[in-house]
Amino acid sequence: MSFFDAINIAASGLTAERTAMDVTTENLANANTTNANGQPYRPQAVELQAVGSTSFAGQLNTALAAGGASPMAQSLMSGGSSPAGGVEVAQIVTENVPAQLVYDPTSPQANAQGYVAEPNVQPVTEMTNLIDESNSYQADVTAMQTAKTMYQSTLGVLK
Amino acid sequence: MGLLDSTQLALESAMSGSMLRQTLLTNDLANADTPNFQPQDVNFGQTLAQAMASGNSPANVSFTPYTQAQTVGANGNGVSTDLTESDIAENALLYQELTQITAAREGILKSAISTVA
Repeated sequence: MSFFDAINIAASGLTAERTAMDVTTENLANANTTNANGQPYRPQAVELQAVGSTSFAGQLNTALAAGGASPMAQSLMSGGSSPAGGVEVAQIVTENVPAQLVYDPTSPQANAQGYVAEPNVQPVTEMTNLIDESNSYQADVTAMQTAKTMYQSTLGVLK
Repeated sequence: MGLLDSTQLALESAMSGSMLRQTLLTNDLANADTPNFQPQDVNFGQTLAQAMASGNSPANVSFTPYTQAQTVGANGNGVSTDLTESDIAENALLYQELTQITAAREGILKSAISTVA
């Protein structure tokens, strides 16, 4: 637990939300892409996970909690659950939704029956996700600013 | 009574508790979209008050975060963004209050020293 943890954690949230927005925008941009490597584009989603015991920092904290750390550090880390370390993108998964068939016999990509496989991107869902991610991003910015105000008031004691 | 009396030590302890709470709440907010995440918080005020009531030194108080097991979102997430944001704002104000009191006490010490000099 370092002094600037709150700012670093808020920054991890900013990175995660920005990645999620990138993926959402990519889905929207490819809403009509029928030929992505020979296949219709498949919408993608970001899977987030808390930075915890599986990470290097988590393992280091566990090792320190077992002995060798100061009483203050031990008390901070003995919360029973994983220490607060922020958020990270676990993986970007391809959503398992089937392509939707659109009747367009004039298209060069139409099959024998005249149907074209188009990506199953739902613009309403993607736009809602975008608003949600934008709100989360702003919440993280606010948290970062609040933490900054706190650090500044700490420096004010020394004046 | 020494230079660092129990009030000063309690202020320092409360500031570290408040800083810990800020870290936990920021972590909750960063994980507002993480599936199955349960928010953490710490009640440092209560811990500190209990320690001081039982005669322990505020300098030796350690704060233990607790996990709030609750489900708000459809993905098993337990973070209420509105509540967390208001807690963050409240905690930051409390922290500023503590630093201002600390600064005021430092000022008293400084003026006492300058009177002697």
